[in-house]
Amino acid sequence: MAQELDPIVRIRELERDRVNFVLENVDLSVANSFRRVMMADLPTVAIDMVEIEANTTVLPDEFIAHRLGMVPLVSANCDEAMRYTRDCSCLEGCRFCSVILTLHVSCQESITLDITSNHLELGAMDDGMDEEGDELSKRPNNFGMPVGKNDPGVAPVLICKIRKGQELKVKCIAKKGIAKEHAKWSPCSAVAFEYDPHNRLRHTTYWYETDIKSEWPLSENAKEEQPVRDDELFDYNAKPNKYYMDVETDGSLGAQEVVMKGLQELQAKLANLILGLKAPEPTAEDEMIPPPPSNMGGPPPTSAWGGATTQWSGAGSGAASWGTSPGAPAGWGSPARAAGWGSPAAGQWGASPSAAAGGWGDTSGWKV
Amino acid sequence: MNAPPRYELYVLEDGERPVEVIEDTKIPNAATIKVVKQDHTLGNLIRAQLLSMPQILFAGYKVPHPLQPYFLIKIQTDGTITPTAILEQACTKLIGTMVTLENKFKREFSFKDVGGVVADDPYGTGAAGGSEWAQGKDYLDF
Repeated sequence: MAQELDPIVRIRELERDRVNFVLENVDLSVANSFRRVMMADLPTVAIDMVEIEANTTVLPDEFIAHRLGMVPLVSANCDEAMRYTRDCSCLEGCRFCSVILTLHVSCQESITLDITSNHLELGAMDDGMDEEGDELSKRPNNFGMPVGKNDPGVAPVLICKIRKGQELKVKCIAKKGIAKEHAKWSPCSAVAFEYDPHNRLRHTTYWYETDIKSEWPLSENAKEEQPVRDDELFDYNAKPNKYYMDVETDGSLGAQEVVMKGLQELQAKLANLILGLKAPEPTAEDEMIPPPPSNMGGPPPTSAWGGATTQWSGAGSGAASWGTSPGAPAGWGSPARAAGWGSPAAGQWGASPSAAAGGWGDTSGWKV
Repeated sequence: MNAPPRYELYVLEDGERPVEVIEDTKIPNAATIKVVKQDHTLGNLIRAQLLSMPQILFAGYKVPHPLQPYFLIKIQTDGTITPTAILEQACTKLIGTMVTLENKFKREFSFKDVGGVVADDPYGTGAAGGSEWAQGKDYLDF
């Protein structure tokens, strides 16, 4: 097993927003989980709600809202410096869980004016939140600003072009999120991942017309490994051992931060699983806490099996197993699931101020 | 408009348990463990680690439906250890691997810093206005 040896890391290139490294002596699954976690599990800040106050440009509101959502915002240390709105004690966003960005551009001259991410300005948050929190002190000065703003070396993101007499005035609310919810929250713009450049392990089969060697040029990484000799026998027990990765970020997080936070996030996931395994089995009392309204009078679960059976039923077949497993009704499986899809959710929806009430009034709100 | 919030795909709900162990009634020393709100990232990682351990007779995982955010991992051991215990052991070992990796990366990054590649921006914030950093507000202690 590869993990008997100590893993080796060699950084080949390092820039602010890019790191190229070689990983050795780890299992393929470790390297791949590392890649996945860097791409999809690290929190960043991105514009999530856009209130359009004036839009006389040629682009429709949703078009602009979508483009604004894609703009990378500086999110350094985001996991500590900001809260998720869903975890925050505020009602509709506060300085701990949202960042306000405003944009107001109008064209008065006979030219074509570019509206870019450089026109986005950090706005004040009038939340009336009097709670104490140390999140703000963990933020860098430019937290939440578009990446590369006021930096002549970085080209701004073009949002719209306007002509004389046109205007765009919007208020954007940026929130913390992860890329599993929407790819705009991914800190990575590209992650390259390669192993076995000579295809020694035959994990892939190359299609070719006449000559496989001339039609499939080797990658740069092939220089790191011995080519396969023509008389070499295929070792079907061989495992990949060396991985070439290149992590490129959009600038919201630095490459170094992405790598380190990625490893920490993996550890957190594993630690949570251990905690979950160690946690005591739910008692009848615990299970009664979130009772589904219709089953208030039901008998308490008789065994762990009852609960388990309910869980096995998927969302669709839930009703059927309610009948067949009488031990479970008061059980605990279903509030979780029902809350997402069934009727109990209606209450939550009404109360949720975020998306629904976003404002179709005089200013229109777009969920990006 | 009535779509469930997307964060339900990865955030445990109130009182929801992250792990559920379902003992196998027909196979000795076997259990199926349901891990909620996790995906292939964790599933494949654990599966591979389990297969490398000598006490394991079988380990496999599946995500039964791509829209339902959980995976099942089925474990059969040789009887010297329970499936839950070995799963815990596997996780601990993996955390160990991650810690080693983290230290190696830390070391490598510190070498690169000395090399002056990113000396002007040691934390790699990728942010504009790097000059503002000089005014203090050090926000990370790697």
